[in-house]
Amino acid sequence: MPRGMWRPSLADMAAIEIRGLSRRFGSVQAVRDLTFEVGAGRVTGFIGPNGAGKSTTLRMLLGLVYADSGEGTFDGRLYRELDRPGTHVGAVLEEASFHPGRSGRNHLRVLAAAGDHPDSRVDEVLELVELSGAARRRVKGYSMGMRQRLAIAAALLGDPEVLILDEPTNGLDPPGIRWVRDLLRAEAARGRAVLVSSHLLSEVAQSVDDVVVISGGALRASGPIDQVLGANGIVATQVRSANAERLAALLSDAGMPVQREGTDLLVVPGVAPEEIGLVAAREGIALRELGAAGRSLEDVFLELTAEAA
Amino acid sequence: MTTLLRSELIKLRTTRTFVALAALAAGLSLLLTVLTGVLTDPTRDEIVTSVFANDTSSAFILVLAVIGITGEWRHRTITGALLAAPDRLRFLGAKTIAFAGAGVALSLLISAAVTIVGLLIVAVRGLPSPDAGELLEFIARSAGLAALLGAFGVGLGALIRNQVGAVVAVLAGTFMLEPILLAVVPEAGRYGPFVALPTSASGIDPEAVGLEEAGLLAPEPATLLLLGWIALAFAAGYAALRARDVES
Repeated sequence: MPRGMWRPSLADMAAIEIRGLSRRFGSVQAVRDLTFEVGAGRVTGFIGPNGAGKSTTLRMLLGLVYADSGEGTFDGRLYRELDRPGTHVGAVLEEASFHPGRSGRNHLRVLAAAGDHPDSRVDEVLELVELSGAARRRVKGYSMGMRQRLAIAAALLGDPEVLILDEPTNGLDPPGIRWVRDLLRAEAARGRAVLVSSHLLSEVAQSVDDVVVISGGALRASGPIDQVLGANGIVATQVRSANAERLAALLSDAGMPVQREGTDLLVVPGVAPEEIGLVAAREGIALRELGAAGRSLEDVFLELTAEAA
Repeated sequence: MTTLLRSELIKLRTTRTFVALAALAAGLSLLLTVLTGVLTDPTRDEIVTSVFANDTSSAFILVLAVIGITGEWRHRTITGALLAAPDRLRFLGAKTIAFAGAGVALSLLISAAVTIVGLLIVAVRGLPSPDAGELLEFIARSAGLAALLGAFGVGLGALIRNQVGAVVAVLAGTFMLEPILLAVVPEAGRYGPFVALPTSASGIDPEAVGLEEAGLLAPEPATLLLLGWIALAFAAGYAALRARDVES
């Protein structure tokens, strides 16, 4: 590429494009005219209440469920058109899709052979998900967390450019949830596009860059999480200090809309905590509390999804 | 296709069901060989059919194939399988070839064991030795039949999908429907895929299995008709597999 020519950043490139996807099951319109994109190098949360159509959407994207109309593509190609699809897309769709009598390692060997991945990759991904010690045990003896790690290992076999995970933290304990979040962030940092579904906005809010909210099978909101939440009143910062009066004056001088909420409490809508922390640090003002304020994530989530419910 | 075939063969080798049923087939075949070898006094013309025709692998591979394909739905491994191989025709084709190949391997192993045990019994009891050519032809037919029934089972399982229902259908066809049909309407029953055509294709003397009245077909046309049944089952199974959503 010649110097100076515009080049899209990773975030500008849509690794997944969903266009007008619809599917009806009998009298239920599970997904209706759904359109959104997922960028490379970003974690995108696919959020909606149970029954919103998330799993159906992901399965249509992966060619497992047929769409009535519309399509989902990876770099412009349908899943079934991908050569060695496991090297393009890794998916974790359900926690229990294992033959219970097969060992974890053999489960991966089956998938590695089918996906034309080298056998050596099996041990690599087992190491990656910290399951090497249990690799030769039969899956029916695995805990929920171990099964989820095995499913993620299967998705990583082809070192794919896109990761799709359907409710990956369901049933996991806090360390397991943390492990999944760290993995998703690490994969995005490597330039992978990560699409992760959840029925809890609060569960993914800490780890996603973008969010797509659906309800009743229809798109309710999408975009960078700060924008989506900000547009719904979530972005406000609450700061508590013994020197609140002086801090309020400084913030006002900096053009921030400060609201006094008591003798030591300020609420600053539309401003991130980091910006307020910088002002306070620069002026040597000690803070007792600094964080997001306003309505809870659940409030926003319920509002976003209520209209179609 | 090679990669999918390799994957299917790993599946076969890494579940206890296959090993257990294969061992049961071998054990049953050897038991029948010992019983017929010890309890009967066949002539030279009868020796192969009586003592060496006890390979039960074709019946077992049929059930194993049905269990193998329906297990993909039962354990929901169909999702991972179709993510790795989105082309459902290739997936079903690889499974069909895998079970046909497994049928051949199982049949040859059991035939080898049956032959060794049978020859020992023949030598100890002083029974007439089997004709080597006839014996080898019988072993080859058994292996071919196991391949055919392995392939047939995959098609049936893809069509029925429910594991219990599919196994019950096979058992009902083998032990109830077809025997009844053979007894009541042999003109139709002789074309059945569970008993009549496999018996014909194996080259077993119908009299040895009590079907002398059924007017069974010769091995070659029976094999061709069995191939027709396999094509039908495969086409119907593929049509069902292609039409279905793969939901959780």
